[in-house]
Amino acid sequence: MDQHIRKVYIPMTETAFYILFCLQKPNHGYGIVQTVERLTEGRVRLAPGTMYGSLSKMEKDGVIEFIREEDKRKIYVITELGDEILKIELERIKRIYKITQEEI
Amino acid sequence: MKTKRKFKYFSIFNHEKEQEYLSEMHRHGWKFVKVTGFCIYHFEECEPEEVVYQLDYNQEGIKNKDEYVKMFNDCGWEYLQDYVGYSYFRKPADEMNDNEEIFCDDSSRLEMMRRVIRGKVLPIGVIFFCCLLPQFIDSLDDGEYVWAIVSGILVAIYSGFFARCVVKYFAYKKKTEK
Repeated sequence: MDQHIRKVYIPMTETAFYILFCLQKPNHGYGIVQTVERLTEGRVRLAPGTMYGSLSKMEKDGVIEFIREEDKRKIYVITELGDEILKIELERIKRIYKITQEEI
Repeated sequence: MKTKRKFKYFSIFNHEKEQEYLSEMHRHGWKFVKVTGFCIYHFEECEPEEVVYQLDYNQEGIKNKDEYVKMFNDCGWEYLQDYVGYSYFRKPADEMNDNEEIFCDDSSRLEMMRRVIRGKVLPIGVIFFCCLLPQFIDSLDDGEYVWAIVSGILVAIYSGFFARCVVKYFAYKKKTEK
């Protein structure tokens, strides 16, 4: 994994996390917006400018890939590299959570 | 229907002021129609309404217009036009759950500023360093003082522009990182 990917994605922004998490199944940008809204019970509402910029950046970084277009919506899915990063991020979050359960 | 045209200049990195201006006009019953030429804003009379206006700067989006606009439409934003690289969107406040914007985190707001720098500031920088500055130095060396003064003034204007860009960018960065 190169330095750039490490720097940008470990740790990653909440937006990048939700995108990678949702793209474990193929989906388009608006589909991700809807899924995240449902999963977070409306607490996280991803905005289109952020989504568009993030998806193209993440595609360039090779953590997600474009698979096909449906009704003018680009459908993406996570790549092997993206999956690796997502696992690292999940481990980080779990570690932090575990620490908070212990007494100082 | 009554219409009006207004000249209004917003310098680089002032898209937030521009957004506020368009909302303010709509709030007073003047709906934005388009912006043309050199900063000429066209409005038509309408019912006063609270509408959020937003600008994006994304050259890749403009290249892939269909899917770009689709994403915004899906999220309830009306696409209006492109103007000098910026894309204009609006959404009525009563269709929103709370204060919505087209960006939902600071890293994507800063990313847009970086796109503005790459798209607008850097090309001007190339002209500055490849043409103006050498011209200025040459004319000083050759004793062509008229040329030296003309290019000197341009160098001063350009330097002022760059200094302002740097200051604005860091001010914006500080503000969004709060």
